Amino acid sequence: MGTDCIDLPQGTLDLLILQTLALGPRHGWSISERIQQVSTDVLRIKQGSLYPALHRLERRGWIKARWGASENNRRAKFYELTARGHKQLKDEAEAWKKLTAAVADVLGTA
Amino acid sequence: MSDLLYRMRSLFRRGTVEEEMNEELRFHLEREAERNQHRGMPHDQAAREAKMALGGFEQVKEECRDARGVTLVENFIQDLRYGLRMLRRAPGFAAVAVLSLALGIGANAAIFSMADVLLLRPLPVPNPDQVVVLSTDRPDSPEGLGGVSYPDYRDFRNQAKSFEGLVAYQFSAFSIAKSVNDTAHLQTGVLVSDNFFQAMQVTPPLGRGLLPEEGEVSGRNAVVVLAYDFWRREFYGDPAVVGRSIRINGIDFDIVGVAPKEFTGLDVYVRPDFYVPTQMWQRLSGAAADPLEDRSNHAFSVSGRLRPGLTPEKAQAELETIWKGLEPRHSEADQQRLPRVRTVLKARIHDDTEDARLVTLLLGLVAVVLIIACANVANLLLGRARARHREIAIRMALGVSRSRLVRQLLTESVLLALVGGIVGLGFAYAGIRFLQIRPPTSGDGLQIIIAPRLDHRVLLFSLLAAIVSAVLCGLIPALQTSKADLVPALKNAEPGQGVRQRTIGRNALVIAQVALSVVLLAATGMLVNGFRKALLSDPGFRTDHVLILQLDTSFVRYTPPQSQVFYKELLDRAGALPGVTAVSLGENIPFGTGQNGEAVIPEGFQFPKGQSSAGIMTSAVDENYFSAIRMPIRQGRAFTAHDDDKAPLVAIVNEQFVKTYWPNQDPLGKRLQIGSKKNQWLRVVGVTPTAKYFYLGEAPQPYLYVTFAQNPRSRMALFTHTSVDPAGLAMPVRQLVHSLDPNEPVFNVMTLEQFIGAKNHPVQMVVEVVATMGLVGLSLALIGLYGLVAYSVARRTREIGVRMAIGARQIDVLRMVLRQGFLLSLIGIGIGGVIAAAISKAFVAGFVGLGSLNAAVCVLVPLLLMLVTLGACYVPARRAARVDPLAALRAE
Repeated sequence: MGTDCIDLPQGTLDLLILQTLALGPRHGWSISERIQQVSTDVLRIKQGSLYPALHRLERRGWIKARWGASENNRRAKFYELTARGHKQLKDEAEAWKKLTAAVADVLGTA
Repeated sequence: MSDLLYRMRSLFRRGTVEEEMNEELRFHLEREAERNQHRGMPHDQAAREAKMALGGFEQVKEECRDARGVTLVENFIQDLRYGLRMLRRAPGFAAVAVLSLALGIGANAAIFSMADVLLLRPLPVPNPDQVVVLSTDRPDSPEGLGGVSYPDYRDFRNQAKSFEGLVAYQFSAFSIAKSVNDTAHLQTGVLVSDNFFQAMQVTPPLGRGLLPEEGEVSGRNAVVVLAYDFWRREFYGDPAVVGRSIRINGIDFDIVGVAPKEFTGLDVYVRPDFYVPTQMWQRLSGAAADPLEDRSNHAFSVSGRLRPGLTPEKAQAELETIWKGLEPRHSEADQQRLPRVRTVLKARIHDDTEDARLVTLLLGLVAVVLIIACANVANLLLGRARARHREIAIRMALGVSRSRLVRQLLTESVLLALVGGIVGLGFAYAGIRFLQIRPPTSGDGLQIIIAPRLDHRVLLFSLLAAIVSAVLCGLIPALQTSKADLVPALKNAEPGQGVRQRTIGRNALVIAQVALSVVLLAATGMLVNGFRKALLSDPGFRTDHVLILQLDTSFVRYTPPQSQVFYKELLDRAGALPGVTAVSLGENIPFGTGQNGEAVIPEGFQFPKGQSSAGIMTSAVDENYFSAIRMPIRQGRAFTAHDDDKAPLVAIVNEQFVKTYWPNQDPLGKRLQIGSKKNQWLRVVGVTPTAKYFYLGEAPQPYLYVTFAQNPRSRMALFTHTSVDPAGLAMPVRQLVHSLDPNEPVFNVMTLEQFIGAKNHPVQMVVEVVATMGLVGLSLALIGLYGLVAYSVARRTREIGVRMAIGARQIDVLRMVLRQGFLLSLIGIGIGGVIAAAISKAFVAGFVGLGSLNAAVCVLVPLLLMLVTLGACYVPARRAARVDPLAALRAE
């Protein structure tokens, strides 16, 4: 982990979690690993903030949890997207694209 | 919704949720450590790195809890437990606080229950807020609802588009017998229009309501719907009652239905026993002409259900248009009437302004009691705040946020208030039992029931009162307490700053309490004084040794000549009973509610424009009436046996009548006309003093007497004057009536003293309620005042020690403390006095015949408060002054 990683802007963690879960159910650790991998270690999420985010998303009804067996055959809590979660992901991803495009425009990097 | 379920699960299955959270995080740590090992770390380091990556285990859990949204509730429960512990640790404080609040809340709940039953409670029908009250008000009587004549009602009902349904009803007493041989007794019935049940959306659970065709032809459909209570009482709830018949005024009526239990009619006071169609009125009354066709007979109450979206104002505008169209059919007097549409609450207030005022007044007074109670508790809490400042400071030093602390302190006061509220409900229950007024039947035989009860509305109100008082008494102490200055507090010293500020606050509290007590005591003193004066005043006639008994020959459908024969026979035989000294007949029983009046035109009196006569209470009496009830004749003569139906028409008026209509003129020989004898003159032959006719506190009323012989009535009261206990004559006189006609029901059989006593009962009750409230308020204020003053003096022990150390004498210290207490109470009494003086004006304007601020109240109240304040200063001041200066300096 280098020093040039960036901290996550508010709210983006939720988007990343939803995106990660779009491909199928995962448990907490695997979500954190997956985000770390795909973001090529530039985005740094504090593992400690992942779990409160998961509980928050669950409370909002965007993801739901069930207990299942992990890849090494241990009991683990798996999260998956709900129908509302899918919709939320779509909406947020679009909003994000619009936002980044607009910001890029302003910065003149488009 | 799902959010709530989620939170509930988090809360109630907290053990499971906690366990799951642990397991989830443990799993994470293991996987992370495994991966670290995979990358070649040694076992120990792998686990350590995993833990570091996650951050504080407990902290993550706490954040998860926050994210799940359980902390608010959890905190509350925690606060509640903490609060309970604190209260247990200070039982004296808790007891005084709870008792203060219980008295305040209980008194409020009891008074609210009365306000509710008199004014506020919605009608017992579905969608009660759609229902409005219609009336045709007379411009010359600004208060009271003007009744509606049946033809006017019919025109409104046919033409108005603003209403989904318009119903007419009229209460009356009827003679009821279950069979021909059964002894008749009097019950309250109500004549209702055919659409009554349907428009009020009341569905009888047994049988049916009335049918449209039952409102078509006069006298055709003798059907009756029983009220639930009556059905339970008289028929023991027998469902087979539908299809049977019952005799009303000697006519057989088919029972077609039973009204629902919760439906007790549309009136606040009178609960009908049964409902019959309006079209039966003529047959039931035996009237020669159908009263339903008489446009000048404003006997009906009318209620309507507004169409959705319409306001009473719009409906009234429509009725005014219709009323204009009816103008040609109205008499000159009726053209002056104005159709009015009011909400049920407004109609109740308008109909009985005095009750409404009394209720408002009581609610206001009892609110003051609650404020005093809250001030007490606020004081106690402030006092405790100081005792707790170390504890609070420690908690703040440990990182508890101020808002969290305020919440916790407020939870404590909420707890106090809730416990106080529960205990208060006990007081309220006792109070409500006391308030349950059941006066005997009124003069016209209608059973009046005022039954406040401890129902969900009162419970809700008490809860509200408890929460309001929790905030009132808890917020300021909580805010002040949490402002604790950390460093000196922790050093176990007096909080340096804020002392002055707090002293000012407490001085303000002392002043406020004194002022409020002055207002409360002055108000209650005035009320009690005024009512007592009224209760002790002389009614103007004899009330002892008189038995009354009311009869109505229309129940047995006598013709007027038959009636005359019946009453003559009754007088002759009752006069011969042993122990009887005199008998007489009078139409109105003094203090009865259903007294009759006449539209009177006094000769030569110029009425204001638009008014042609005055409604004046009128009683038809026989020639023995005045001598028998010992009402003197001031001028002229009493009626004699010669004033019969062949003699010239005569009348007797009271002095108030003369004063109003013939001021400074000789009333003897003057003439007047009455509504029931159109275009005939009655000559005034005598004048009586102005007595009390309705209640002892009333303003002087004009009153008119006519002779029974010239004005035959079917309903009369027999006044039996005895040389023995009049109650003993009740049975013989009853038997006498029974022997004359077994079908004739008698009612209001009691001594005149009992009758008037029962009429005065509500007044007496109000006096007792007000006096109790004053006492409760006073004792609360005194306790609070004493505690407050004593406490602030005790707090100055150190200062006093300093003063004495530098040479002050005991007497100087005492004088200083007393002077300050004296000043505070003086300011409070001054402020309270100003408010009380302002309020007393409103009282005198609002209640006729009520006392003003009398000397006793003006002197006693300030004196008492002053004494308590001084006493509260003196005791601790003397103790402080006696203390060894050194010890005082070391104190705290």
